[in-house]
Amino acid sequence: MEQAVARHKRVRIIGKLTPYLFISPWIVGLLLFTIGPLVFSLVMSFFDWPVTSAPKFVGLENYTKMFTNDPQFYKSLAITLKFAVLYVPLSLITSLILAMLISQPVKGVKIFRTIFYLPAVVSGVAVSIIWGWIFNSKYGILNYALSLLGIEGPKWLIDPASAIVTIVIASAWGVGTMMLIFYTNIKGISPDLYESAAIDGAGSIRQFTSITLPLITPTLFFNLITSTISALQQLTLVLLLTNGGPLKSTYFYGLFVYNNAFKHHKLGYASANAWFMFIIILLLTALIFKSSSAWVFYENEVKHERKRGGKKK
Amino acid sequence: MQKAKGKSWFIVVILASLFLSACGGGGTAEPAQDGKSAGKVTVRFATWDSEENLSLQQQLIDKFNEAHPDINVSLEAYGSEYDTKIAAGMGAKDAPDVMYMWNYPTYKDALEPLDEYIGKEGAEFKNNYYETLWNYNSANGKILGLPVGYTTHVIYYNKDLFDKAGVPYPKGGWTWDDLQASAKKLNNPEESISGFAFSGKPDPYDFEMFLWGNGTAYVDKEGNLQGSVNSEKSIEVLTMFQNMLKEGYAITTEGSGSTEMKSGKVAMFSNGAWSIGSLKEAGINFGVVELPAFHDGSAVSIVSSSGISMSKDSKKKEAAWEFIKFWTSEEANKARIDYELPVLKSVVESEKLQQDERKQVFYNMLEQSQDYTPASYKVENWSEISDRLGLVFEQIFNPSTMTDPKAALDEAAQ
Repeated sequence: MEQAVARHKRVRIIGKLTPYLFISPWIVGLLLFTIGPLVFSLVMSFFDWPVTSAPKFVGLENYTKMFTNDPQFYKSLAITLKFAVLYVPLSLITSLILAMLISQPVKGVKIFRTIFYLPAVVSGVAVSIIWGWIFNSKYGILNYALSLLGIEGPKWLIDPASAIVTIVIASAWGVGTMMLIFYTNIKGISPDLYESAAIDGAGSIRQFTSITLPLITPTLFFNLITSTISALQQLTLVLLLTNGGPLKSTYFYGLFVYNNAFKHHKLGYASANAWFMFIIILLLTALIFKSSSAWVFYENEVKHERKRGGKKK
Repeated sequence: MQKAKGKSWFIVVILASLFLSACGGGGTAEPAQDGKSAGKVTVRFATWDSEENLSLQQQLIDKFNEAHPDINVSLEAYGSEYDTKIAAGMGAKDAPDVMYMWNYPTYKDALEPLDEYIGKEGAEFKNNYYETLWNYNSANGKILGLPVGYTTHVIYYNKDLFDKAGVPYPKGGWTWDDLQASAKKLNNPEESISGFAFSGKPDPYDFEMFLWGNGTAYVDKEGNLQGSVNSEKSIEVLTMFQNMLKEGYAITTEGSGSTEMKSGKVAMFSNGAWSIGSLKEAGINFGVVELPAFHDGSAVSIVSSSGISMSKDSKKKEAAWEFIKFWTSEEANKARIDYELPVLKSVVESEKLQQDERKQVFYNMLEQSQDYTPASYKVENWSEISDRLGLVFEQIFNPSTMTDPKAALDEAAQ
């Protein structure tokens, strides 16, 4: 009897373990390549580590230096926040418009769908090189096109005032993935809703604001979070397109961290920088989550409540 | 019960196979890293070269491996992210045994001092190198690398544009006043030809040579910026460059100026030997000439040098030294002659490079530039100072700011 119980217990433990075993390749990867380095960088943020020699414990010095003795820290932070404020709404609007366009029943829509998604497949390095050519103030195609209209284009990558706009435009070009997420959601909306709205006399704009927009708020919410995070982490484009210039006007926080680590060889300091950004992202995401109850609409929740309400009556 | 038993067996098998594969990976990788498979010592050698130069290097290494049955050199090509990877390797205590090196002050703590090794080879060995180069391959008075190649900076000029404008070709011993006078004559806005081009974001390391030419430098002997970088002579240099822009016969470029030179729209620009190949390819009829001198100064160039170093943590130093000697031998210098200026006097003599119309200019500049040490070797935090100076130069040359050089340099000195 006792033996049987013990055996039973063992089987149950093994039974509970089985699913984890199946996802163990992912768990191992997460521990080794994500959690491990994460913890390591947190530890390193309390050290002075010039890479070529041994790390030295300095306590909170990296953090105090960051807040009190590094003007570039605040400048880079401001630039990145400015970029996020410009980029997030722009990318949400463009990807939503594109998603609306490619869900229209037009001939050849599949071709457009592919074309609009294409930038998301191209690697960031190639994108940077292409935009570098487009924005070249002397030989670039953009200023050539503007000159045909009689407009003298700005010196995109040379004038510090326009450089950040350049980066926003180049980043907003790669909204293919967001567009696709919107698109699948829009396609999933039942056509009945539109039909009955049309019968009630709602025009296409009214249909968009009253049906499409409320129903895709969960996707909007998801895209808002991911695009905020990616905006705050932007590095590839500035690294390759402007390298922080002109006059450090695009010296993004990501580049600040990268240069501290790999150019100035201050790995401990860079770790502290990175952890501070992690906390900012965490707080912002929490804030967006908090706000979601006010504007995100979940169809299931409503249905559920109705059912319960029905029973009560 | 039977079913559960089967399940647990299945789990055991999975666990075992996971464990085995984890060990297997390590098991096969280790002997190679240990470097002692079958009595052979494996020396890891990191290079920043790519494409054609890389295959040339591999051929050279194959030759070495054939001649040394007990050593096997394996080439690791890090490409454009060379510095990041080297730094990461040093941090992880997994640096290659032998590596290309240029930025000695930054990496000095992880490199093996070579003075003793060189001493054992005899005085002739050391004297065969150009003296200037030892300065550049040392840090804190210790030699940390053997010179492999170098370039000094010179002025490239487009002969066709000079002919068209009827301006005589520049000659060694000329001055900046001469350059400006020629540039004014060569400048032709109607055909959008500029007399002179220089980078709008010059690398501060390179730019120091112009300060040297005017008898000053970024820092004084103690490594202070104040009073040197904002000395009257420094301001004079920056003002001269800015004035060339203001007067309209010179332009700033986004890169080194090589692209603009290739387009045939620029009459003169300054660069190292890197542009020779691409200008030839672009079919530009060009010449090179020594840098101009300042009115009462001299023509001095920075040396962009490359060397080969040994990791301090290497466990195969003897084999590594053997390979370093080969890599800097006459044979190797000759093998690289198409893309690297030889650093051995004996090779320069035997290959008659002093008679080469273009190459001799680089050697003349090298000999004129002895006794100058870049600021990066004198200060501890060069990468930060370099950042700051880079920003200041940009402010001075950027058309939207054109900051007054004195004000900008005073701020940099703070």
